[in-house]
Amino acid sequence: MTARRSTPTRAVAWFLAPFAALLVVWAAVVAATGVPLRIFPQVTDVVAALVSMTASGELFVHVAASLRRVLIGSVLAIVTALPFGVALGASPRLSAFFAPLLRFSVALAGIAWIPIATLWLGYGDGAVIFIVWNAMFFALTYNTLLGVRRIPLPLLRAARSMGTGRVRMFWEILLPGALPSVVTGLRVGLGYGWRGLVAAEIIATSAGLGYALFLAQKTFSTDVIIASMVIIGVLWLVMDRLLLAPLERRTVQRWGMTAARP
Amino acid sequence: MDAVRALQIENLHKTYVDAYSGDEVVAIGDVSFDVAEGEFVSVLGPSGCGKTTVLNIVAGFVEQTSGSVTVAGKPVSGPGPDRGVVFQNHALFPWKTVQGNVTFGLRMRGVAKAEREATAAEYLRLVGLTGFEQRYPHELSGGMQQRLGVARVLANEPAVMLMDEPFASIDAQTRRRLQEDLTRIFQEQRPTVFFVTHDVDEAVFLSDRVVVLSGRPSSVHEIVTVDLPRPRDWRTTGELPQFRALRNRITDLLAGDESHAVADPA
Repeated sequence: MTARRSTPTRAVAWFLAPFAALLVVWAAVVAATGVPLRIFPQVTDVVAALVSMTASGELFVHVAASLRRVLIGSVLAIVTALPFGVALGASPRLSAFFAPLLRFSVALAGIAWIPIATLWLGYGDGAVIFIVWNAMFFALTYNTLLGVRRIPLPLLRAARSMGTGRVRMFWEILLPGALPSVVTGLRVGLGYGWRGLVAAEIIATSAGLGYALFLAQKTFSTDVIIASMVIIGVLWLVMDRLLLAPLERRTVQRWGMTAARP
Repeated sequence: MDAVRALQIENLHKTYVDAYSGDEVVAIGDVSFDVAEGEFVSVLGPSGCGKTTVLNIVAGFVEQTSGSVTVAGKPVSGPGPDRGVVFQNHALFPWKTVQGNVTFGLRMRGVAKAEREATAAEYLRLVGLTGFEQRYPHELSGGMQQRLGVARVLANEPAVMLMDEPFASIDAQTRRRLQEDLTRIFQEQRPTVFFVTHDVDEAVFLSDRVVVLSGRPSSVHEIVTVDLPRPRDWRTTGELPQFRALRNRITDLLAGDESHAVADPA
């Protein structure tokens, strides 16, 4: 491609442009209609809320609590879903057996488990982490399974004909071969995980961004509600840009394999 | 033949059930032939005659219905490092570098690092890929990818190198170069080669013997000995009257079969 190459600054500007546009429209609409703060906040109200939440240290507590839960939940999902997904992808018999269950569970993944999770694990970290894990698990398993199935047969045959054992087959062939799809699964799964997190925090805890949302609603503090929503969105984008995008660049793109886009 | 038999195929027969019609299809009728150690044998036949199926059975990827395959005196069951396969679309591991691909088989067999590196360097030199060790397969040209596929197999020093139409999807000029490279590598290393192709010129140019299969259900039509002098290159070998005579003879053998060949490709 000989098209003009975008400099990092230009790329950042293009990334931020739609958000800037949204802010302008938001400020204009609120100014024109004069809706009261208890219905919807002005941009400046949200900025003020962010500043005061930062100053009081409250923001840090919520972000730390939420990030910790997402991190633990995702790590658990990765270590459970990847081996399971690879096993299903590699064994038609196993996947035939589990396919109906997987399909059934997709509709229930995440939020629907909150009542059971709180019954089992009480109100607190345990239940929220369980929900994050549960929300991610099925998306990650299913995409890993698809990724393994998409590995061209000659590659598997080549590995087998060179005497590759089971364990090495997993680490050296099936997992890297499935990675384009695994990255997709991580992206979709983390999205579900964040949504599950917010819902679970609303119900099951006394800290975290979901809880902050819930608390602000009781006092009609729309500025804090929107501020918390902004933080949730920003954290998700940062995770995607800082973790998933570099992972994709260093593996799938470096290897010339095209990532399956969700 | 008094040479050691590296590969022995006896009364190979393969039927399978067609997934759509449910009919039983005979892919291989009755195929027998030997490949001696250090010999280059091509299997040639009309498309759909089951020649790739013969290769897949020898490789251990597919199981025969009856008959036997013996490599270096041992009957074949399942894939193994004594038979290295060069695939039509190279089947290199995209997530491994050139070095990672060449040393893969050695690592799987637990060969020590120093020895792996020495072997890799030797075979990369042989196929002209020295200096490309840290590249990934997608950064190489089609011809280089296929030469890497050959190096990956030879580095394991298999009893037989199986090649499944390795140059079929490569442009005509590059293909001739690769054929010359392969015949040079064969001269230097003397591996035992079982080469599947549908290209008569290619089979004659590369081989010591050409096994001509009949159309489906396949059987060995004739085994033609190619006694052209080595080293071979297209400019001289291709102009030899013996080369043309062999090519015409094999073309006639195949043409005689066309009339009763089945129209469905494998």
